[in-house]
Amino acid sequence: MTGEPARAGRPTRAPDADPRLAVSVQGVSKEYALGEERVVALANVSLNVDRGVFLALAGPSGSGKSTLLNMIGCIDTPTRGRIVINGRDVSGRTPDELAALRARTIGFVFQTFNLFPVLTAYENVEYPLQHLPEIGRRERRERVLHFLDVVGLADYARHRPNQLSGGQRQRVAIARALVAHPQLVLADEPTANLDHRTGRNILRLMRRINRATKVTFIFSTHDPQVIRMADRRVDLEDGEIVRLGVRARKEWSYAFERAAEPPAFADGETQPGR
Amino acid sequence: MRFLWTIPWFAIRNLLREPRRSAMALAAVTFGIVALMLASGFIEWIYYDLRESTIHSKLGHLTIARPGYLEAGRADPFAYLLPADTAALQRVRSTPHVREVAPRLYFSGLVSHGETTVSFVGEGVQPSLETDLSRAVLIEQGASLRDDDPKGVLFGAGLAQSLGVRVGDTVVLLANTPSGGVNAVELVVRGLFTTVSKAYDDSALRVPIAIAQTLLRVQGAHAWIVLLDDTSNTDEVAKVLRQELPHDRFEVTTWYAQADFYRKTVSLFSKQVGVVRLIIAAIIVLSISNTLTMAVLERTGEIGTSMALGVPRRRILAQFMAEGTALGLLGGVIGLVLGFLLALAVSAIGIPMPPPPGMAHGYIGQVKVTPDLAASAFVLATVTAIVASVYPAWRASRLAIVDALRHNR
Ligand SMILES: Nc1ncnc2c1ncn2[C@@H]1O[C@H](COP(=O)(O)OP(=O)(O)OP(=O)(O)O)[C@@H](O)[C@H]1O
Ligand SMILES: [Mg+2]
Repeated sequence: MTGEPARAGRPTRAPDADPRLAVSVQGVSKEYALGEERVVALANVSLNVDRGVFLALAGPSGSGKSTLLNMIGCIDTPTRGRIVINGRDVSGRTPDELAALRARTIGFVFQTFNLFPVLTAYENVEYPLQHLPEIGRRERRERVLHFLDVVGLADYARHRPNQLSGGQRQRVAIARALVAHPQLVLADEPTANLDHRTGRNILRLMRRINRATKVTFIFSTHDPQVIRMADRRVDLEDGEIVRLGVRARKEWSYAFERAAEPPAFADGETQPGR
Repeated sequence: MRFLWTIPWFAIRNLLREPRRSAMALAAVTFGIVALMLASGFIEWIYYDLRESTIHSKLGHLTIARPGYLEAGRADPFAYLLPADTAALQRVRSTPHVREVAPRLYFSGLVSHGETTVSFVGEGVQPSLETDLSRAVLIEQGASLRDDDPKGVLFGAGLAQSLGVRVGDTVVLLANTPSGGVNAVELVVRGLFTTVSKAYDDSALRVPIAIAQTLLRVQGAHAWIVLLDDTSNTDEVAKVLRQELPHDRFEVTTWYAQADFYRKTVSLFSKQVGVVRLIIAAIIVLSISNTLTMAVLERTGEIGTSMALGVPRRRILAQFMAEGTALGLLGGVIGLVLGFLLALAVSAIGIPMPPPPGMAHGYIGQVKVTPDLAASAFVLATVTAIVASVYPAWRASRLAIVDALRHNR
């Protein structure tokens, strides 16, 4: 814990270079054109994420969790607003620049695991390193073996994804997400395709890694059990942040909670939503 | 760059995921190469056969004559006679790759048998030097000319027919002499011949060169016909001879410069082979791009994953290009082997062909796959495969990551 819990998801515009921030989402909107209509997936969302937190994005289906994760993961671009990753504003970058940024600073864990079926567990974990020329052969090998060990799959290195259970696949995916030593791991509903027990184990593994490595984790979920394992939570509804929570011991304390009527903030700068 | 080697490996494994589809694409490439090799191999054989027949019936590989004879000699043949024998002839004989140098004296006149008289084009030849040089002059009836038979004449089959002569008949040849007079000799028909050119057979006759010289009252010959050990040496030897023989007295002309029919045939068939190539290229393009488009569609989710993990677009492009290239190369190699084997088999059996227009005989076709031809078939298939993969690969590399990822569901 950082000792300043209200930062968890403090909806402010912080300076880009604040070294305590892993991610800063600043007034981000995402709109889709569906024929004549405009679908607002995210509406002027602002959010600061401290380094090293284990943050859950909660909210009903269609509330914009995936959309927000995609923006933070630099795999989609906001209609308005800015995303700052690690103190670097990522707007206006070319696809190749974003690819290089993702390769080195962001790990992804997917709901559907997304392992390459033709590659073994070892090769799947190795895959992201193949595009990082700065990492030599030996180090590559050491890292892959290390992270397979971390996720408890040292004995499954030669297995193909279809020879692994769902939980094991997601472990491989976690090892893959970590192998490039990212500062941030994003997981969109990592447990949705797993049974409860396996899902919780996956979350425990992620949290253990989070504690041990201080890598920031942001994951989305529907599952209240899973939300309970986070130390910060951001609740979304209709593309807006409706609640920001910090967990101390077993209890959530809410830094911000939207009432039926949005509270009147004196300082418009600190207002979430529109 | 350092990890480029992983691309082909990944490509092959991806191809093996859909063995049936990959096999289909491979089969298309293989079929393309085989078809191209057989089609152009057959035509190559026709070229070869026509070329060698042309060389071995009339032209030899090289013709050495007085400068200007080939263009203007018909009008004034006596102005272009080569000396009977010289050091130059010796020099030609001793040039590497030269197998035979045979003198020819060309003339024309009238030939009569009984009441009938027709015009002819004649060639005086030295029979002992013609055995191999004229091996495509096929003796249909009777026998060939001999050095010790000064009174013999060979008739083209068509000419014999229009004059109504048979082997053993006596004929009279009339020709102009340089002084403007007319001279005649009486000869016995020893045999009838046919060549690749029916037009030639309809008007030509051959006599020993000594008789021709007597008839025309001249010495020497119009041309020395040079036979080489191999047709592919034609240009090389022509170059050497052009350097060695004095330009003002000798002109060296290659067979192909005179073989009009051969050149026209080649250009006609080459166009046809061009069409075959185009069709085959189209087949390969369609099948490879279809295969890759399917692969891109199917693996859209994986492409999204790769891109999310930070793989740059160019690498995605390279990956799919590698798959197309692998199909092209592999299909190419299989096609080459299969093509060679089939060409051997077809040649062993033979393709019976009817007589082409202007020729006297049908023939047994073969398939002649030269290294050049095999290489160009291989290059066509692989290059086409690579080109065909550009578009699908490019499409793959331009997918929007978020949309691509959605395909994993
Ligand atoms: N490509 C798109 N085109 C149009 N609308 C979209 C697109 N992607 C998302 N949306 C819309 O944006 C809104 C937010 O979607 P998002 O996927 O972020 O929700 P979510 O919170 O992740 O939902 P779930 O829990 O079901 O995954 C939804 O209304 C959705 O219909
Ligand atoms: Mg979602």
